Amino acid sequence: MKSQMENIQHSTFNTERQNFIEARVLGHWVLNVLLSLMLAAPFLLRAQAPPQLPPGGLAQLQVAQPAVDVTTPVTATAAFDPPVVGAGEKTFYRVTVDATESSIQWPDKITAPPELKFGPDARGQLTQFLGDKFRPLTSFIYEVRATATGHFAVTNFTVDVYGKPVEIPAADLDVVAENPNSQPARQLVLETSATNVFLGEPFHVSVMLPAGTNNEIEALREIQINGDGLMTDKTASRQSIEAVNVNGQLKPAFICEMVVTPIAAGPLKFSAQGFTAGREFTAPIAIRGQVTIPGGPTKYVLLVSDAVGINARPLPVEGELPGFTGAIGTFFYDPPQLSTNRLRVGEPAHLKIVFHGKGDLTRLTPPDPPRSPDWQIIADNPPDTGYTLIPLTDEARQTPAIPFSYFDPATAKYVDLTIPPLPVTVVGEGLPVQLPATDDGSDSGVPLKLSALATVPGKTAGSLKPLQLRGWFVGVQLAPAIGFVALWRWDRRRRFLEAHPEIVRRRQARRALRREKRKLQKAVADGDAAAFVQHAAEAMRIAVAPRDAANPRALVCADVLAQLGSADQNNRAGETVRKIFAAADAQFAASAQTQADCLALKSDVEAVLTELEAKL
Amino acid sequence: MSRLLFHRCGSRREKVPIHLRFAICDLRFRFEPRCLGCCIVLAALICAVNFSRAATNDFFAQGVELSRAGQFPEAAAAFEKSARVRPAAGTLVNLGIAEWRRGHAGAAILAWEQARWIDPFDPRAGADLKFARQAAQLDAPQLKWFETASTWLPPDWWVWLAGASLWLAAGLMTLPGFLRRRKAGWQQALAALAFGIFLFCITASLGVVSRTQTGFVLKKNAPLLLTPTSEAEVVSTLNAGEPARRLRTRGNYFFIRTAFAAGWISREQFGLVCPEQPDAAAAVPPAQID
Repeated sequence: MKSQMENIQHSTFNTERQNFIEARVLGHWVLNVLLSLMLAAPFLLRAQAPPQLPPGGLAQLQVAQPAVDVTTPVTATAAFDPPVVGAGEKTFYRVTVDATESSIQWPDKITAPPELKFGPDARGQLTQFLGDKFRPLTSFIYEVRATATGHFAVTNFTVDVYGKPVEIPAADLDVVAENPNSQPARQLVLETSATNVFLGEPFHVSVMLPAGTNNEIEALREIQINGDGLMTDKTASRQSIEAVNVNGQLKPAFICEMVVTPIAAGPLKFSAQGFTAGREFTAPIAIRGQVTIPGGPTKYVLLVSDAVGINARPLPVEGELPGFTGAIGTFFYDPPQLSTNRLRVGEPAHLKIVFHGKGDLTRLTPPDPPRSPDWQIIADNPPDTGYTLIPLTDEARQTPAIPFSYFDPATAKYVDLTIPPLPVTVVGEGLPVQLPATDDGSDSGVPLKLSALATVPGKTAGSLKPLQLRGWFVGVQLAPAIGFVALWRWDRRRRFLEAHPEIVRRRQARRALRREKRKLQKAVADGDAAAFVQHAAEAMRIAVAPRDAANPRALVCADVLAQLGSADQNNRAGETVRKIFAAADAQFAASAQTQADCLALKSDVEAVLTELEAKL
Repeated sequence: MSRLLFHRCGSRREKVPIHLRFAICDLRFRFEPRCLGCCIVLAALICAVNFSRAATNDFFAQGVELSRAGQFPEAAAAFEKSARVRPAAGTLVNLGIAEWRRGHAGAAILAWEQARWIDPFDPRAGADLKFARQAAQLDAPQLKWFETASTWLPPDWWVWLAGASLWLAAGLMTLPGFLRRRKAGWQQALAALAFGIFLFCITASLGVVSRTQTGFVLKKNAPLLLTPTSEAEVVSTLNAGEPARRLRTRGNYFFIRTAFAAGWISREQFGLVCPEQPDAAAAVPPAQID
């Protein structure tokens, strides 16, 4: 057993030794390859190094645009266009300075001969590209009319440009009585598509530059509309070259159409200006007809147009509809499209609305999203006109109506264009019906879950309002209180009467006396003298009984007489009492009084009873 | 009630001595023709009440069937109708379950609180409230000690107990005097006990009244406003089911105080345990959502 183990160990040693040698050779080879790669690394990695830039290359990349030239000495020119005019004709005094407009300290008034009447002025600036740099150019133009013939000159004067004085050269104008070669001053022509518009209603204006000499067409740059209360939309401009009628003559002209919106009400005046730009067309242009475009260097000349007037009416206040955002024109929209009509609470859906119309759609402001308790509404970023709708509850059955209206200038009325609601199905959020068991010690590891449905309504209540807050309950609680108060008052009265029994006796006597009086009257009416006497005597006894606290049946005539006054005892009252008691006692005697005698005492008895009752 | 006419026997009155007249009162009664009309009206009222209860039960059964069918919005509407006709603890528990299953945590918690308002001994409402608050991570309303005491019994019990104990104490103290009897010791002890019960019940009743101002936010992320206007600045947003206490009302807004903030909230977004409208007793406003 031991020898076998040793043989096995020898055999294993030889095998490991062989493997070790092979591994060593392989290791050396790998090491040599790695060292070779490391030595060749600079050459292999050279392709990944950044390209070598020439000196100043980075600066060239950073400054891609040519610089604006403000260092070259400023030059200025001044001239009348045209230099020869007839008296009263219009000419333009134009000064051009190759500097920025803001750097020129231009005088408010030009010193000129009094025969020259300076009219409206304009100024403009452009930047001309001179090979390797930009150079600003500013022009000042004045409309001038001469009131007399002769030679006039605007003398040279000095203005500050970039803080340095620059001389504006003199300009000469010859005014003649008759100008056979009269060429009107070159100027722009301004036309409007409407002259009576509503405030905020966009309209088109066309700035035209008719062909000059030799029928050459020039482009216009830096076109501006001068005037207060107007907003110009240059983004919607369109350029073309067409034949137009200028002063009764059909001529080709460069036309630039723009959209202008009045932002002030009332009569407005405005004009146009622009620089001639030769063949520098700055936008796509449509050319109709045969035109001649000049070559050579571009000559930038500032031109102006005559002023035109429009009337801007304010929008009517009455009849304005909800959702009016200032849209003026005629609009309509495609059927609104909702991205889905089945959604969950909190899940957004997009409502796509595409407007069309004759008005300015680029400036159309979509209606503001309304406030809805069931929806969160987010308007798309302009110029998109859609909405993102997020349902807040599964009670929502339709999208909210979005009020919108526009003003139709043709009918001068507001038109409702409300975006209608769309039916949707909103599914509520799910809530858990079971919670896992917690180890907080409060429960015995039993998972919490929703209880099962109750099979019977269970304990009911008339109302959730507590009894304390109901009026009838207060009334019910007052009933025992009233009972206790009544009981207390009864007990108090009872105790009082117990202390004063004469009150009870007198009350009972008065009650019995009234009863006897009624019987007395009945006896008189019946002519029953015996009953009359009996009741009269009984009434007298009842009337005097409380004084002595005696039983009325025990009283006699003397007791009644004692209650009468001493004077009354001997007069008619006392006699009546005696007669009544005598007659009452006589019913037991042999000889009775006649009935007529007894009934004749009726008035006397009543007088006695009245006197006794008064003392009761 | 039918009208019982106690008939005095006039013929006997004349013949009876005066000192015995107080005892003449014949307890026999007779029906007059108008009593028949009263009975008809009474029968009609009883039939109307029974019809109302039958309708309530119909809504309840309908709600149970719809809940079992998984149509929880319709089930909630049926339970709501049933609770509006006659609030019941079981109906409100089922309403809460339906609202919870449709995702309206605020309305569910309000319904369960109302169920517990009607019947504090109903174990399902309490268990569901505990489950809902743990699931939605919400706190229970913070009650004062007398409000906590008022939850031990149904709200109406406290006032009945207070009234009974008060008049018992008053009767025990006053009736012996009226009856010319001596006040016994046990009567005085019982009166003191009754008066003590009355004081406690009055305190609990105040707690009930105070609890009527508690409510719950119905809508998720309900805005808490700085002023009671629709364009007001939002102070904070509240979770559905969050408890709050109404402090005052202005127009369509409640001024409420939660555990962390105070501000105005729209009526539609806040449900009171005890709603103001008596007819809407069950009180779940139709627009409640969360």
